[in-house]
Formats: sequence, structure tokens, C-alpha cells
Amino acid sequence: MTQIYSAFTLFTSLLVEAMPFLLIGVLLSSSLIFFMDENTLITKLPKNPFFGAIIGSIFGFFFPVCECGNVPVARQFLLKGLPTSVAISFLLAAPAVNPIVLWSTYVAFRGQPHIVWLRITFSLIIAITIGCIFSFQSDPRPLLKPILAKRLTVLMNINEAEKSCPKQTKVKEYSLLQSGSFILGEEGKTIKMDENLLTTKNTNNIKISGWQKWDLFINNVQIELRELGGILILGSAIAASIQVFVPREIILNLGQDTITSIVAMMILAAVVSICSTVDSFFVLSFASTFTTGSLVAFLVFGPMIDIKGIGLMLSIFKPKMIIYLTAIAAQLTFIFTLSYSYLF
Amino acid sequence: MKNIKRKELIFNILNIFAIFLWALLLFKYWFTGELNLLIHPNYFILVLVSSIILFLLSIANIIQLIIYNQRNYNRNNSANNQYSKLLPKGWASSLLSFVAILGLITKPMVLSSQTAMQRGVIDSLPPTTLETQSFLTQTSPEKRSLIEWVRTLNAYPEPDTYTGQPANITGFVVHFDHLPDNYIYLSRFVLTCCAVDAYPVGILVELPKSRNNFPVDSWLEIQGIMKTEILPRLDSFPSIETKDKRQLVLKAKEVKVIPTPKNPYDY
Repeated sequence: MTQIYSAFTLFTSLLVEAMPFLLIGVLLSSSLIFFMDENTLITKLPKNPFFGAIIGSIFGFFFPVCECGNVPVARQFLLKGLPTSVAISFLLAAPAVNPIVLWSTYVAFRGQPHIVWLRITFSLIIAITIGCIFSFQSDPRPLLKPILAKRLTVLMNINEAEKSCPKQTKVKEYSLLQSGSFILGEEGKTIKMDENLLTTKNTNNIKISGWQKWDLFINNVQIELRELGGILILGSAIAASIQVFVPREIILNLGQDTITSIVAMMILAAVVSICSTVDSFFVLSFASTFTTGSLVAFLVFGPMIDIKGIGLMLSIFKPKMIIYLTAIAAQLTFIFTLSYSYLF
Repeated sequence: MKNIKRKELIFNILNIFAIFLWALLLFKYWFTGELNLLIHPNYFILVLVSSIILFLLSIANIIQLIIYNQRNYNRNNSANNQYSKLLPKGWASSLLSFVAILGLITKPMVLSSQTAMQRGVIDSLPPTTLETQSFLTQTSPEKRSLIEWVRTLNAYPEPDTYTGQPANITGFVVHFDHLPDNYIYLSRFVLTCCAVDAYPVGILVELPKSRNNFPVDSWLEIQGIMKTEILPRLDSFPSIETKDKRQLVLKAKEVKVIPTPKNPYDY
């Protein structure tokens, strides 16, 4: 009974800590509905996936969200039709490469500033690499949840229609004796009935009033908060139960040498699911017993993949995609930190 | 048609209810000071602001609902349709409400010795505080808190430095079976972010009588004099042979049982 009670306490503590950050993320992603004119943004983004990935990972600097808040923002990016490479590299890099997190890492490891640099470098390289890998899939729809994919199809069609929509030609005054069907327009003008009339008007740019915008905004906040909050609860519950029912020593006892210590720290990062803004303080408590390489592995891998975050990511991607992401991120983290341990 | 509308209305009310309950829960934690048992004080203000935002959000949702119902307006929830059915309809709100209600009726637990044993007792304190590590020479020994003692001990690990110094510390009791019968480990948790990452630190205490008089997890205020002794190591990883080690021990003169403090953690 005590165990369950203590698990519940840890669970609420995880939630109370994550909720405000999730709320920030949701408010931010909902405000993107108004403040981001997707058409201008998409045309300004570089077509090259590599540069796209770089830009995506730098977005984190402007959207300082941790791993609870970045999911709704990345979703909104995908819905706005941003390239996959941008969205994925944002999703992976934003929680680690943003001013708040870097500052807290710097404060925690004041004596070892190289940890901050390693964290930035590895996180960026991994995010950009994975972004590039998935950019080979130019159409993100097979990776996404079916409903998100459908929604994207609609958006794409609208954009396509816009592109193929011929420019409104000046309405010519028709002389008499012309073949064709005509209808009587306003002010007694005759308008020729042809394809021009039948193409659907682009409904995307219809000005919505301020009130409607608010209405949309509040709706979106409520729905995202509800859905992601529900998933956050499930993720936190799993993370808290593992912590209570699996003694931490089991994981830490793995970490006896260079290789296993990195693996142990990566598993710990995924299990503990601690917010990236404070994980540096958490990992400090292992600084005396673990190698620098394994600490960096914790700091790089944790923000990208953890139990709490996987649940949230399931709101965007199919499970298959999350397995890919986890596997690639884990491998790259392992290779980089191991090379660091051996070379320095 | 009418049935569908009724169902929609019920779902909407459930959503608003869930958000309102969370606003209430966060506010309750902040108001009653129970936040102390959950997260680091740095985040208190964030929790309060979130609570206010959630309140406003639930009010805005109620207004929306009234307007929709008056106008008989059919909502076209584009956002609703974007969400995959990760959780069946209504589940997310029910989960949120259920957890919030549980949180409202229970009080968070103060982490106990069981958690301390599970997290592995360590002798050293990592420099997790944002304060600069002053050497605390200005603080007179009897004014140092338990955490300050451990911190000082980290800066100067030699136990002999402190021999004969008076001390007055509070913490909760942890029993170690491999220590002699009149020894306890007086411990406190240090929090860096939330209860998930709390880790225990503490000091060995030599009691005037058997430790069985002081049950595990009871809170004590102990006055005494510091001394050095050779005792078995505490951080007994199964892989490490338990070796004896010279350690700082507080020889207790006066032991007072105190109630659990409102804020049992240190930062």
C-alpha cells in the first residue's frame, strides 16, 4: 500500500511539474494558428532537406519548450505543411537546444562547461541527421497517424488548388454573337460560364473575424490540452510505477564500465522522464560515480526520447515511426558518447 | 440528431469539468503548501499561473458553450478531427478528472526511508544547489542544518576536522542493519526539481540507547557533539564488498521526537 501511495505521489509530482510546460506548449502551438502565415513561411524555407533540418533544430531557440510542449508545436508545424525534416528536427532538438535548458545545464555543470557544449553539439547533430534521414520521405503522410494524414491531404489539396488555380483574368466585355453559355451577373453584366467559374474558390484565405479567431484558439487549446493531458497521465503513471517498483540500483549497477554506463544512463533517462529544463540537476547526483560520456548520453537522449514523451509523440506518429526514431536516436547517442569517452 | 447533440453537450461539459478540476488541483497544492512535497520552489509561481490560466480557459469554454447552444450553432471542430483516436472519445477528460479528484482528496506522501534505501544512500552531496558553495565557516557549527553539514563535509571530507564541534540537526530515521544497534542514519531528502529526483543525504548518529526506541521514518531533533569513528560503509552496492571507513558521527546528547515538518525537503 505504501508503495502505491508513494508511486501516486511521484506520479502527481511528475504531472504537476509537466502540466505548466504542456500548457505553455499548447498555448504556443494554438497561437501559431494566427501568427504564422504558412504560405509565406513555406516559400521562405529552404527546399534543401539539410538546411531545412538545421532551421528546424534552431527553431527551438525561438520556441523554448521542453519535451512536453514541443509535441503540440511540432504537430502544428506538420499541419501547416512544413517539410518533415523541419518538423522532426524541431521535435528532437527543441527540448535540448533552447536558452532555458542551456542556461540550467551551464548552472548545474559550472565546473565542466564542456558538458554544455557536448550537449548542444550532439543534440544538434542527431536532430539534423534524423531530420535528413526522414526527408527522403517527401510525403510525410505514411508516417503520421491516419487522421493527421487525412487532414494534411486536405491542406495539400487546397494548396494544390491554389497553385493550379488560374489567375483571375479581367472579365472581358463580350460582344454579341458569341457561342457559349452566359449567366447574368451583377449590374446586368453577362458573365461567360466556363471553367473559371466552376473552380472552387480558395477558402483558405477568407478573413476570419477576431471573435472567430479567439473561438478557434480557445477550442484548439482545450482539445490539445485534453488529449495530450490524458496521454501525459498515462506516460507519467508508467514512469512513476517503474521508479517505485524497480529499484534504481538495478539500472545503476549496469554502469560498471564505459560502455554499460552509457547504456544505463540512457535507460535511466528514458525511465525517469524528467523535464529537460532540470535534468542537468538530476544527473549531477551521478556525476561522482559516472563518466562524463554517460552523463552527456543522459542529457542528449533524455530530452529526445522518454516514456512520458513517447505517449505524446503517439499523437503525431504511427508506432512504427517512433520505434525508428528511438532506435536511431539511441544508436547515434551511443556512438557519439562512446567515441567521446574513448578519444578524450 | 437530438441524441447526437445531447452526447456532444455531455462530452463538452465533461471536458470543461476536467480542465476546471485541474485548475482547482493546482491551486489547492499551491494554497495548502503541499507543493513543497512535490516540486522545487522555483516552480511554484509557474504552477499558480497555470492554475489561473486553466480557470480562465474553463470560463471561456463555458461562455462558448452557452453561445453555441443559444445560436444552435453547429460546431465544426477541425481540431477535434485532427486528433487521432489515441484514447477513445471521452477517455482523456475522464482520466484527467479522475486523477484530479484523487489528487484533491489525498495528500501527497512525504518520501520515506523506504525510498531512501531504494534510491541508494550516498555519503556525498552533489553540488545541486544554485547557491554558491560557500565554505560556511561563518556559520557556527550548532546553527548548521543537516544539509549544510553534509555540504561542509563535501568541501572538507576529513572527519577529524569536526571532532568536538557541537551540532543540532533534524531529519528522519533510517535504520541500517549492518550498523551496531545504537546507530541510526539521520537523513533528509534534497530536491532539485520534483519528488521524482529527490535523493537522500544524511549523517550517522550514535544514540544513547538502542535504535528500536526510534522507529523508522520518525522525525528527530538531535543535539550532540561530532566525533570520528570507523564504521561499515553505507553505500553498500551489492557488488562492492562492504568495507569499514572512517566516518563523521554525531554522538547524541539530547534526542527530541518532533512532528514531520511542513516542508520536509531541502534544496
